[in-house]
Amino acid sequence: MSETDITPDTGSTATTTTAGESDEQARDAWTEYRAAGETKLSVEDINVWYGDDHALKDVSMDIPEESVTALIGPSGCGKSTFLRCLNRMNDRIKAARVEGSVEVGGTEIYHPDANLVELRKRIGMVFQSPNPFPKSIRENISYGPRKHGEIEKGLLARLFGRDDTEAEAELVERALKQAALWDEVNDRLDDNALGLSGGQQQRLCIARCLAVDPDVILMDEPASALDPIATSKIEDLVEELAKEYTVVIVTHNMQQAARISDQTAVFLTGGELIEYDDTEKIFENPESQRVEDYITGKFG
Amino acid sequence: MSEAYAHDTALVTEGSTSYDRLVDGAIALSIVAFATTLLALVELVPLGTAGATLGNYFLTLFVAVSGGVGLTAGASWANVVSVTSQRVRGVAGGLLVATGGLTAVAYLTTVTLATLLGFVLIGQALIIGGAGISSRLDIIDTEPDASAGLLAGGAFAVIGAAIGGALGGTVIGFDSIAWLVFPIVVGVGLAVLTIVPREDLGSTIPVGLVVGTLGVVVATAAIGVGWQWNPETLDGGFTGGVVIPLFAAFGALISAWAAAKCRAGFGAPGREYGAFLIINLNALLMVVTMVSIVLFVLTRGATYATRGLTTSALTLLVLLVPLLALATEFARSRVGGGEWNRTVRLVTQIAPLATLGAVAAVITTVLITGNPIEYGFNYQILQNRNLIPRETAITITPNPEVGAVILAVVASVMWIALFRNYGSLRNVGAAFPRAESVRQLVPVAVAGMAALIGGVLLVGPTPAGVPLGSVVGVGVVAAGTLAAVGLAALPVAGVATTNGSIADRTQASAPLFTLGVFGGLAVLTAALLLQPVTGHTPGIAGVDLVAVGALFATLACGLAAGVSAYARRTTTETLQDRLLGEETILGLTGAAGFIALLGLHVLATGSGFTVLGVSVTTEGTLSWPMILQPYIPLGAEPGGIMPAVVGTVWLVIGATLFAVPLGIGAAVFLTEYAEQGRFTAVVEIATNALWSTPSIVFGLFGAAFIIPRLGGNESLLAGMLVLGFMLLPLVLITSRESIKAVPDEYRDASAALGVSQWETIKSVVLPAAMPGVITGGILGIGRIAGETAPLILVLGSTLNATESVNVLQGFQFVAEPPFIINDQLLAASASLPTQVWAVIAAGVSGSPQMGWASAAILLSVVLTFYAIGITARTYFRRKLNYE
Repeated sequence: MSETDITPDTGSTATTTTAGESDEQARDAWTEYRAAGETKLSVEDINVWYGDDHALKDVSMDIPEESVTALIGPSGCGKSTFLRCLNRMNDRIKAARVEGSVEVGGTEIYHPDANLVELRKRIGMVFQSPNPFPKSIRENISYGPRKHGEIEKGLLARLFGRDDTEAEAELVERALKQAALWDEVNDRLDDNALGLSGGQQQRLCIARCLAVDPDVILMDEPASALDPIATSKIEDLVEELAKEYTVVIVTHNMQQAARISDQTAVFLTGGELIEYDDTEKIFENPESQRVEDYITGKFG
Repeated sequence: MSEAYAHDTALVTEGSTSYDRLVDGAIALSIVAFATTLLALVELVPLGTAGATLGNYFLTLFVAVSGGVGLTAGASWANVVSVTSQRVRGVAGGLLVATGGLTAVAYLTTVTLATLLGFVLIGQALIIGGAGISSRLDIIDTEPDASAGLLAGGAFAVIGAAIGGALGGTVIGFDSIAWLVFPIVVGVGLAVLTIVPREDLGSTIPVGLVVGTLGVVVATAAIGVGWQWNPETLDGGFTGGVVIPLFAAFGALISAWAAAKCRAGFGAPGREYGAFLIINLNALLMVVTMVSIVLFVLTRGATYATRGLTTSALTLLVLLVPLLALATEFARSRVGGGEWNRTVRLVTQIAPLATLGAVAAVITTVLITGNPIEYGFNYQILQNRNLIPRETAITITPNPEVGAVILAVVASVMWIALFRNYGSLRNVGAAFPRAESVRQLVPVAVAGMAALIGGVLLVGPTPAGVPLGSVVGVGVVAAGTLAAVGLAALPVAGVATTNGSIADRTQASAPLFTLGVFGGLAVLTAALLLQPVTGHTPGIAGVDLVAVGALFATLACGLAAGVSAYARRTTTETLQDRLLGEETILGLTGAAGFIALLGLHVLATGSGFTVLGVSVTTEGTLSWPMILQPYIPLGAEPGGIMPAVVGTVWLVIGATLFAVPLGIGAAVFLTEYAEQGRFTAVVEIATNALWSTPSIVFGLFGAAFIIPRLGGNESLLAGMLVLGFMLLPLVLITSRESIKAVPDEYRDASAALGVSQWETIKSVVLPAAMPGVITGGILGIGRIAGETAPLILVLGSTLNATESVNVLQGFQFVAEPPFIINDQLLAASASLPTQVWAVIAAGVSGSPQMGWASAAILLSVVLTFYAIGITARTYFRRKLNYE
C-alpha cells in the first residue's frame, strides 16, 4: 500500500450532508481554505525511532489552516508520537530520534538553528491528563507570557516604571473566556488551580496554551481522563477554537473524531499512516479495507 | 477455614457484653501500665514511689483521662460528635476504671509502684487466660483460626528461651552446662502451646503464662527495686530500676496484643486489632521517649540556666503580643464540621488564647499594683573545688520600661505579619482629588529627604557656611514628622468628614487608609533616618519630635483600626464586611509600623524616650545572666555562656549559607541537566559515602587541610566550613529526591509553552520541591548544631569564654584585594557542644549544674532552629496548596 503522500481529497465534501449549522459553516470554511491551498503544517517523510523501535514510518501529510484534524488509531500506533513531532516535544525524550521534515507556514522546524522557544509559542500543546501548575489560576494563565517577558509585574518592574497588572488581568480574562472557563472561575482567580475539577483543569490548560497566542494547538487525547459532560464541553470548545486556530487532536474515541474533526488521519499498527482524508469520507467510505475494519470495530 | 463461614454471624454486633468490657479493661490497663513504665524508666515517677505520692501521680492521670473522656462523652451525648464504636467506648471506660482503681489502691495501701505493676501484670494474665479458656469452651461466641500460627509460635519460643535461661541460671547456675536444658524445654514448650491448640488458646495461654510469671517475679520482689545482677563476664550490671520497667513494658505490650485479639474475636479481625494496638503503643513509645529526654535535660539544667532571670512587666507584655496574635489567629481558624473530635478541637483552639490571656492579665496586675512577682530557688556554683549553694530568683519587676531592641523587633514582626494578611484596597472607595495630589507628593518628599541625607553625609553639615544640617535638616525633620502625623490622621479625618452610615463612610475612605498608612510610614522613616544625620539628637528644643510624632501616628492608626472594626460590626453586607476587615488590618499595620519606627528611633539616636511614665530604653529591661552574659572569671557570680550561644548560632548560619546553595545547585544539575548514567551514579555513591563519614574524620580534614589555608589558626570560619561539608551531602540527597518527585507533567507543560529549562526549574520545579528541600535542611541543621567532635579540632573552642565573636562588626573594607576582611571569622570561638563536652566529660571548671544548663540551652537552640525550619516548610507547603 502506498500511503506515503496522502492529501485530503477535495471532491468528497461537496456530496456529503452535515448535521448542524455550525458544522456546515465550518465545512464551508474548510473547503474554502483548502481551495485556497493554505497549508499550515506540512509533514514530509517523518520517521521516529525510540532506541531500536521504529515508532513512526515515512509519514507525510498536509494539515490545513483553521480546521480540526483528528488523528485516530489503536494504542501504540504512533499517533501521539506524530503529534509530538509537530512541536519537537520528542526532543525531550532522550532515546527518541526523528528524521524527516516538518514545515510550519513554510519554515522547517527541524532546522538545526530553529528557535524552540518561538516554535513552541506558535504551536501550543494540551496534554492527555490535565497538568496545571501548583499555582493560582491567574498565575497559570500568565505563566507563559510572563516567562517570555511580555508581562512584567512585581517590585522590580514597578521600580523600572512598568507594571502590567492591568494587561495581565485582560490577558487572563481573554484566555479564560476563549476557553469557556471565565464564568466558572472569575471570582476565584487567586485560588489554587489544583482545586478545580478535572474538566475545568483541562480547560485551564487550554487557556494557558491560548495565553501565549499560538497559531496551532496540538491536543493529545485531551478528554480521555474526563467524564462525559466535561468531554462534551471540551469538544464544543475545540470546534469553537477551530474558527481561529489550527487544531490537531489525537483521540482514541472514533465518535469524538467524527463529531468534531474536519479531516481525519488513521494510524494503524506499526506507526504507519494508512489513510488521511475528509472525516466524512473516512467514516462513510474509506479507501482501505483495514481502515473500514478498524472503524466498524472488527479490528483494533 | 471454611468453618468460619459456617457460623451465623451478624454483620453488625450492637452493644457489648460484660466479656467485651472486661477485655477492653485489660487493653486500657495495658496502655496505662505501658505509659507508666516508660515514665518510670526515666525516673519521672521512680519505682519506689508509694502511698500518697504514687496516688497523686495516678490521680493526675485519672483527672487527665476523665477530662478527655468526659469532654468527648459529653459532646457525644449532646450529639455534637458521634462516638458510637463500642470498642472506643469500652477502652475509654476501661481507662477511667483502670486509672481510678490504681489511684484508690495507691492511696489506700502502701505498695510501691514496682509491686503495683507486678499485680497489674498478674491481673492481666488472669483476664487473658480466662478469656481464652471461655472462648475455647464456647461460653462466648468467637471465630478463631485453627492455630495461632508459626510466627507467634516462633516469637514465644524466643520469649520462652529467655525466661528459661534466666530460670536455669538462677536454679543451678551457669557453671554447669545443664542450665541449657531450661531454655530449650521452656522455649519448645511455649512454642508447642502456641502452635498446637486452637487460636483462642494458642494466643492467650502462653501470654497468660509469660505475663503471669513476670508479674509474680515483680510483685513478690524476687526482682525488687534494690535488685542487682552483675554478671562476671560483663563490666556493667542490671539493676531493678531498669529491669522492672522493661519487664512491665514488655508484659503490657504482649497483653495488649492478646487482649485485642480476644476483643475482636480472634481470626482475621483479631489479628488486625492486635497489630493495630501494637503499632499504636510503638508510636506512643517514640513520643514518650522524645518528651522524656527533653524533660530530663531541661529539669536538670533549668535552675542554673534561669538563675537571676529578671525582666520588666512591660517587656513581657510586648513579647506576649505576637503570641497573643498567633493564638487569636489559631482560635479563629475554622474547625472542620462533622469530625468526631470537633469539640475537642474547638476547646484546644481556644485554650492557648485563654491561657495567654490569663498570663497577660497577671503581668498587667504587676504593672498596676507595683508588686513584683518573684520565684526564689537555689543553684550551685563551683568555687575552690567546692559546690556552694546560692540563692537566686526569677523576677518580674513592675517597671513600665521596654527595651528598644525588643520593641523594634516585635513591632516589625507584627508589621510584616499584618502586612502579609492585608490584601489590596487600591480601587476601593471614593476618589479624593486632593488626596491624589498628596499621593504624588509623597515619593517626591521621601526622595528629597533621601537626597538631603546623602548631601549631609557627602559634604558635611555646614558646607561653605550654609547650615545644611542644623537649620535646613532640622526644619525638614520637623516638617516631615508633622506631615507623617498628618498623613496618619487622614483615615480618621476621612471618616469624620464624609456623609452616610459609618460603614459606608469608612469604606469610602479606603484610599485615605492606604495613603495615610503607607505614606505616613514612608515619610516618617525618612525623617527618622535624617535626624541622626543632622546631629540633632534626641530632640529639637527639648522635644523628641520624631518619637512624639511616631506615638501620635500610632494612636491615629489605632483609632482608624478601631473605627473600621466598629464599622464592620454594623454592616451586614459580605463584601463590605471583607473590605472593612482589610481596613482594620491596614490600620493595625500602620500602628505596628509606627511603633517599630519608635523603637528604631531610640536605637538610632541612642537616647531613651519617656512619656506618661512609660519608657523606651536603650538597654537593661531583660537580664538573663546565663544567656546574655559571658563567663566572669573569679567573680562572685559565674556569669553565663553567651559567647558559646553566639558561636553556635554563627556556626549554623555559616554552614547553612555555605552548604545549602551548593547542595541545591548540585541537586538541580544532577536531576535536571546531567544524563543519568555512570557519572551520576558515581556522584550518588560519593554523596552517600560522604554522609556516612564519621564526623571526627571531617574534623581531621579540617584541621589538616582547611586550617593551614586559613591562616594557620583554629577559627570560626574553619568550623563553619567543616560543618558545611557535613551538611552538604544531606542537602544534596534530600533535594535530589524532592526534585525527582516533582511530576514530569509540570516540566512538559512548561516546555510546551516555550519556556526555557532554567526558567522552568526556577519557577515550577524548585517551588514544588521546596518543602522537601527544607526538610533536608532541617534534619541536617539538627545534626550539625550539636556536632562536637570536629569542632574540638578546628574551632579552637575556648571554654568559659569571656568574649563573644562579633562577626557583623568584624567586617572591614580595605583598599586592596580581597577588599573585605573579617578578623573575627578567623578567630577562635566558643560553641555550645564543646562547652557541654568540656564541663561534663572533661570535668573542667564549672559545677555539674552548669553543664546541664549548657546542655539545656544547646537543646533549646537546636529546637529553635527546628522550629524555624518547620515554620519555613509549613509556609512553602501552604503557599503550594493555597491554604
